[in-house]
Amino acid sequence: MTTQTETTEFSYHPRWEQFKSKLGGWSLTTYGILAFAFLYLPIIILVIFSFNESRSVSKWTGFSLHWYSEMFQDDRIMLSVWNSLFLAVVSTAIATVLGTLAALGLERYQFRGKTAIDSMFYLPVIIPDIAMAIMLLLFFNMSGIGFTPWKVQFFGVKLAVPYSVIIGHVAFNTSFVAIVVRARLAQMDRTLEEAAQDLYADTWRTFQRITLPMLMPGIIGGALLAFTLSLDDFVITFFTSGAGFNTLPVRVFGMIKKGVTPKINAVSTLMLAVSLSLVIISILLRTRSGDDETVQMGF
Amino acid sequence: MTDTYAVELQDVVKQFGDVIAVNHVTLQIHDGEFFSLLGPSGCGKTTTLRMIAGFEMPTSGAIYIHGQRQGYRPPNKRPVNTVFQNYALFPHMTVAKNVAFGLEMKKLAKEDIKRRVGEALEMVRLSGMANRKPKQLSGGQQQRVALARALVNRPEVLLLDEPLGALDLKLRKAMQLELKALQEEVGITFIYVTHDQEEALTMSDRIAVMNNGIVHQVGNPEEIYEHPADRFVADFIGETNFIPVKVVALSPAIVVELNTGERVHAGWAEEGLAVGDNAVLSIRPEKMDLLEPHERPQTPSHNIALIQGSISHLVYVGTDTRHTVTLRDGTNVVVRLQNVYIGEEPWEIGEETIVTWNAAHARILKE
Amino acid sequence: MERLRRNPELQAWLLLAAPVIFLLIFFMAPLLIVFIYSFLERGKYGGVEWVFTLENIRRVFDPLYFRTFLRSFNIAIITTLITLILGYPLAYFIANSPPHRRSALLFALMIPFWTNFLIRTYAWLTLLRTHTGLINVSLMNWGIIEKPLPLFGNDFAIILGLVYGWLPVMVLPIYAALERLDKSLLEAARDLYASNFHAFRRVTWPLSIPGVVAGSMLVFIPSLGAFVTPAILGGGKSLMIGNIISNQFLGAHDWPFGSALSMVMMIAMLIATVIYFRWTVKSEALA
Repeated sequence: MTTQTETTEFSYHPRWEQFKSKLGGWSLTTYGILAFAFLYLPIIILVIFSFNESRSVSKWTGFSLHWYSEMFQDDRIMLSVWNSLFLAVVSTAIATVLGTLAALGLERYQFRGKTAIDSMFYLPVIIPDIAMAIMLLLFFNMSGIGFTPWKVQFFGVKLAVPYSVIIGHVAFNTSFVAIVVRARLAQMDRTLEEAAQDLYADTWRTFQRITLPMLMPGIIGGALLAFTLSLDDFVITFFTSGAGFNTLPVRVFGMIKKGVTPKINAVSTLMLAVSLSLVIISILLRTRSGDDETVQMGF
Repeated sequence: MTDTYAVELQDVVKQFGDVIAVNHVTLQIHDGEFFSLLGPSGCGKTTTLRMIAGFEMPTSGAIYIHGQRQGYRPPNKRPVNTVFQNYALFPHMTVAKNVAFGLEMKKLAKEDIKRRVGEALEMVRLSGMANRKPKQLSGGQQQRVALARALVNRPEVLLLDEPLGALDLKLRKAMQLELKALQEEVGITFIYVTHDQEEALTMSDRIAVMNNGIVHQVGNPEEIYEHPADRFVADFIGETNFIPVKVVALSPAIVVELNTGERVHAGWAEEGLAVGDNAVLSIRPEKMDLLEPHERPQTPSHNIALIQGSISHLVYVGTDTRHTVTLRDGTNVVVRLQNVYIGEEPWEIGEETIVTWNAAHARILKE
Repeated sequence: MERLRRNPELQAWLLLAAPVIFLLIFFMAPLLIVFIYSFLERGKYGGVEWVFTLENIRRVFDPLYFRTFLRSFNIAIITTLITLILGYPLAYFIANSPPHRRSALLFALMIPFWTNFLIRTYAWLTLLRTHTGLINVSLMNWGIIEKPLPLFGNDFAIILGLVYGWLPVMVLPIYAALERLDKSLLEAARDLYASNFHAFRRVTWPLSIPGVVAGSMLVFIPSLGAFVTPAILGGGKSLMIGNIISNQFLGAHDWPFGSALSMVMMIAMLIATVIYFRWTVKSEALA
């Protein structure tokens, strides 16, 4: 290698460089604002028109809570709200237990056939919901389990929720819970468990006193995700419920098919409020446990 | 006015919000010099380097490279290259691709690039590794790739940001020598950022000692070590004793009084000290000796300090032994004596002793 | 108890028994049934006759249905591309925001995503409808257009709805890749004479490809299998494969054919995924 240095002539205009360095930042920020406007405007407009006086969802005629009172007086909507909640609570409870067990088994152990089991838990997440829906529909038809409803009192409301729908929800939620809990497990410092064992804790006590408490944010995060997915699900419920059973999204789909009214906007606003409070709960839980945000988003 | 220097900083200030990272720094770095910026973490040395590279813009002041004012010039238009602390090798490119990157950006002819990449890899003895990915190399090899990637561009100035920080001690020592030899071979100006004083002393032609954004002293290694300009430099470079004193006289000779009442002369006093001020006497442990109480010379000289004390602690460190001596006022000083052991009886804890040094080695510094 | 403590494999299976059995019965068995049904004859009143046939598979490739198949593919690919073009700069914007603002922006991104998909699609319905949608009504009121624009009941509406619905899942993995990116790599590129553009082209982009791949898959698969979006925004005219499948169960009662369609759809997704992975891995190696 020769020892001389090499002088290269660079074109350089101080003002232009200064301008360029600022321009990049400005255009990126402008784009960011526009992108968020794209994400939020439709929802904001939807909410605004739920307060419209007339039947129109595109011409503002005046403020009214009329559509909300109609919504609360509509027995079928109210029943579907209770159905949705019951379904979400039950399927989340089961899926959280199953998903956590799966996460522990898959993250902490090596055994034959692990890859196959691993992929099986990812499949329900990847498969499009329409495929999963018809799979379950055929299964319930063929197996004779059918669409028998579970007759139950939930907060004093008489519900009849088909077992098939509950099973369907558990089937996709289990995988989501397993993924979230596994992410948490993978982040966990294993030396803490070793420290516990070093301090005379046996396997069970270590799990009970160290692993489980540290895993809790992951489990709660997984449960919240499952709860949201269950509340939001339309396709699988629609195909596995048989006739006559409505959750709120199924009800809304039916209403949209019949025609657009601000009443749907009102129902949507209600659902929006529920999702929003779930998001806020999860934010609060996350900031308390100080987690990496990307892992906890449900991926 | 400035074209005699490879790099010149004129009154450079860098502020991040309320924090002043670099505070009115002025430096002149000569062509072909191995220049180190030395200081503890957070002292502003890396920020200074990043301003020369163009990653940060000075809040005020000016930076010249070979007489050219840099201003808003972006990094890709500056005739300098950087060796990063974590090497910053592109993980998705092979070693050869990494080294070729700068030349490709400068749009050199393909054959030239190939030839120069080959030469550069040969220079750092990595010719066989050209097609590996950085992850497949050891830390020392990655370090050499980073060096080749920068030097292949033949920059006017090479900036190195703690390039040896991630290596283990033995490799670091070897690389220090290698780097120094390389710098002498290629003759390019190196600006080297480090917090390791030994590294700076070993390699540099000149050193700037920085703390809290301020340059405390610029000088060659010997000046920095033997003649620290202030308490920070004396403390940061090497090991030193600080004995609290009061200034008794500054001229014709510098005389100070210890808390014990004993008076000694000193070779140098920091500017701004006045008679009656409290100060510290700074003296390196290896510049001191211990005498038996009966060895006290009959005719005392002003140039020889003689202070009473007793041995309170001994630590054997191989080539020498650290003797901690407690003076009569309770001040501890450390004296390092080489372990030569010919007919000499070692000191024992509790023994009375006299600490002695040549006044020329003592420096009086502000507290 | 002692044996259990000594045998980790037994422990693992004890933990996994319940979830694995559940998924075997209620997920793998249904998957198998769809596969088997694809090769059976249709029953007279819904259901199946247990007679082996390849007729269903052949019909999938009948131009009548295969055209919808190709169109769905087309829509899914265009959706993925647009989402990528819109999502990448958004991810870049979030990743380059100051750290304290980053998590706020991420949550702002996720709130629409956590909102019911049906509702978000419905929101666009109220905006896009030809004569009563907000956009056309407003534009005509302001005198910008005289006749309503064809915003609804076509592929445009479906793609818009899908892009809107899946944009956040494109952004998230790209953001994660960009956020992981060591900033000193970009400085190194700039230091080595790369302009901002070249630093992006040669360093940022290749290193964010894993995020791009993940995001693309997360958008492509549900877009190809879309059911709600075409059902609502397609206005009954513009259909996708998901709607054809559902029709076989809700209207036509041709279960074997519906099964065959969804089998082929899933296999097509699998193939597309593999090809895409191969292609991106190769382009990454070339960078």
